[in-house]
Amino acid sequence: MRNFYQLKILGIKKETEDSTSVAFDVPSELYETFNYKPGQYLTLKFSINGEEVRRSYSLCSSPVLEEPLRIGVKRVKDGLVSNHINDNLKAGDTVDVMPPDGRFFADVKKDSYKTYYLFSAGSGITPILSILKTVLLTEARSYVHMIYGNRSQDSIMFNTELNALQEHYSDRFILEHTLSRPKSNWSDLWKTSKEQSYRKGRVDTDAVKWFVNEYPPYAQNAQYYICGPGTMIENTKKALKSIDVPEDRIFIESFGGSASVDTTKAYENAKLTAHLNGETIQIAIPQGKTVLRTLIDAGKKPPYSCEGGVCSTCMCKLTSGKIHMNNNLALSDKEVEQGYILSCQSIPLTESIEIEYE
Amino acid sequence: MNNQKNMMHTLPVEAYTSKKWFDLEQEHIFSKTWQFAGLIEDVENAGDYISVQAGLNNIFVVKGRDNRLRAFHNMCRHRGTQLLRAVGKGQKAITCPYHDWTYDLEGKLVSIPKKEEEFPDLCNKELHECGLNLHEASVDIFKGMLFVHPDKNAPNIMTFFGEVEPYLGPHIPEELIEYQKNKDEPFYAKEINANWKIVVENYIDQYHLAHLHEGTLNMYDHAKAEFGWAGPHYHFYEPLVPEYLADIKNASPFPLIDKMPENKMGAYVPWLFPNIGITESESAWNTFHAIPLAPDRTLVVIRSKTMNVSEWEYTKQYTKSMTSKVWKTIGNKGKYEGDASDPMASGDFMAEDVYACEQQQKSLSSPFFSVGAQAQKGEFAVSKFQSVVKEWIEKHRNDA
Repeated sequence: MRNFYQLKILGIKKETEDSTSVAFDVPSELYETFNYKPGQYLTLKFSINGEEVRRSYSLCSSPVLEEPLRIGVKRVKDGLVSNHINDNLKAGDTVDVMPPDGRFFADVKKDSYKTYYLFSAGSGITPILSILKTVLLTEARSYVHMIYGNRSQDSIMFNTELNALQEHYSDRFILEHTLSRPKSNWSDLWKTSKEQSYRKGRVDTDAVKWFVNEYPPYAQNAQYYICGPGTMIENTKKALKSIDVPEDRIFIESFGGSASVDTTKAYENAKLTAHLNGETIQIAIPQGKTVLRTLIDAGKKPPYSCEGGVCSTCMCKLTSGKIHMNNNLALSDKEVEQGYILSCQSIPLTESIEIEYE
Repeated sequence: MNNQKNMMHTLPVEAYTSKKWFDLEQEHIFSKTWQFAGLIEDVENAGDYISVQAGLNNIFVVKGRDNRLRAFHNMCRHRGTQLLRAVGKGQKAITCPYHDWTYDLEGKLVSIPKKEEEFPDLCNKELHECGLNLHEASVDIFKGMLFVHPDKNAPNIMTFFGEVEPYLGPHIPEELIEYQKNKDEPFYAKEINANWKIVVENYIDQYHLAHLHEGTLNMYDHAKAEFGWAGPHYHFYEPLVPEYLADIKNASPFPLIDKMPENKMGAYVPWLFPNIGITESESAWNTFHAIPLAPDRTLVVIRSKTMNVSEWEYTKQYTKSMTSKVWKTIGNKGKYEGDASDPMASGDFMAEDVYACEQQQKSLSSPFFSVGAQAQKGEFAVSKFQSVVKEWIEKHRNDA
């Protein structure tokens, strides 16, 4: 069981209108205990209105720089602790802090040669900033490709620090901002294109695909780190997986829930109507069976070959109902849109489905 | 005379003639180093692939939709059949021609035809958890070139090439375009009747430049050459002769490489261990790949890249170069008088090198052969290279 330690606040810095960063003074005898990997978080304990509350905040400082431990805290609407920190804490206060922890971190080594893709949005920048600084400083040959989403120019946390890093490491650090509601001013007209360069929109599927295409990896050992609020993580991960980024190269900040797996459940004993070789077949699909297997088990001869979702021999058209394909390496997005399915990979999602082999 | 004890410098003569040494090198050098596999544009789009023989291993490189390259041993896990041919485009999955076993682009086995009927006891897990995925290899990029390594946990490529990197030219090969005389063919490919080390030793021999190539490479100032070793790799630089430099803007056969600083105009000619040279000059950037075929046969493939500018720029430069006075006195002149079909009269430095290599190889089987002496500066690299080969084999033989 990890214990809480009383740490003194060294300083509090306002980062944006609704966020601050808090630096802690770690006494030398606790250096070892409070050693951390870039990407990890601290857990803080407060007593607010007589109630004990705990919250975890990612460290935005880097363990390889001579800098105090620092966390970033953005106000959450009606958030008990984030507002308490933003409103009430000041330098010199002591706070109960549990030593750094977390499975979201980069394994940074001097001799590594990698391309790091960093995806962050809003306050998700905190652990990403720690990874960014640590990689750039430690791995002299690695590349970092980062996209950072915010509402507007004013809500970009650590903007000054990011700009300085971009300037200093311009040969191997790419930073793209994407803003969902950018502010435009008359004065923008006088800015150089670099100063006001940002993409419009969120860190969504389009942005992720655009970014990976725009900045392909040079060092082929690529890793993908994602941190942001709400659905941004799951969306980014889905977008990466849709372009075949292997699961074991993707790292997400997750304080609890694990990544979702394909747990799609079939509709039990759904009715299948299949038009095959001039015959109309009506049959129930047993639990756990695909459309193709159901037909084969019934002694029918549907076309098929690989049964792995690859060859498209078993392709047919869905004319009513809904199905789910476990795997599709054969059909294009357009074919799927037109209603084509791979019968070897399809399980029913509705009470009845109708298909036609052409 | 006892041929067994006859030495080139550090290596015995039989290292250049015997099948035994050829096999040793295939196993311990060419199957345990980063091997040149092509240029990055060879695998341009998602699903594009190339396959290359790298020592004992045939390895294919494929680009995923995430723009990252993957490398696998080109061998079906069923009965070992090679999966892919030399080059191809747009694959979504890899299917063995023999029995249609199919793998995805991560090398995972995704389908076995008639699995339930024919392989009921194979494995009751998902196919990709059955231990029959493709063997992974490594692929990475160095200076616009693709390299593969048979080990999926290969030592990282920048650790291997890092030491020599500062000695390479300022060229950015990714920005240059390939120069081909015939479409889809390398600039130069020739089987040379000599051991691959004879070819390398010729490439790194500074002493011969002023002699074998007295009329062909005399646009470079051999006396001012700077060369040495960085790790297992050789580096070399020599400036242009003043006469050529003075009229370089006209005399250059191709548009000048824009990254060349005016105060260091010349040729960078490093050799990267074990078998890839680069020739980085004022107007071209070439890879020189020496592929051992047999103890006395080596395939040399040269690919050439030049500035990415319009055909018109090339035409203008060609015209200026043709009329430059520089070429009236230097370059293009054979060592011997005679017909251009004679390599020594051809005025072509490649033909001169090939000739010298083959003439040397011919003598290696003579009982009277021995190396008489070594030029201490100009041929230092020759014996150094031999010791790198020797040490590499000894080290990896002992690891095995």
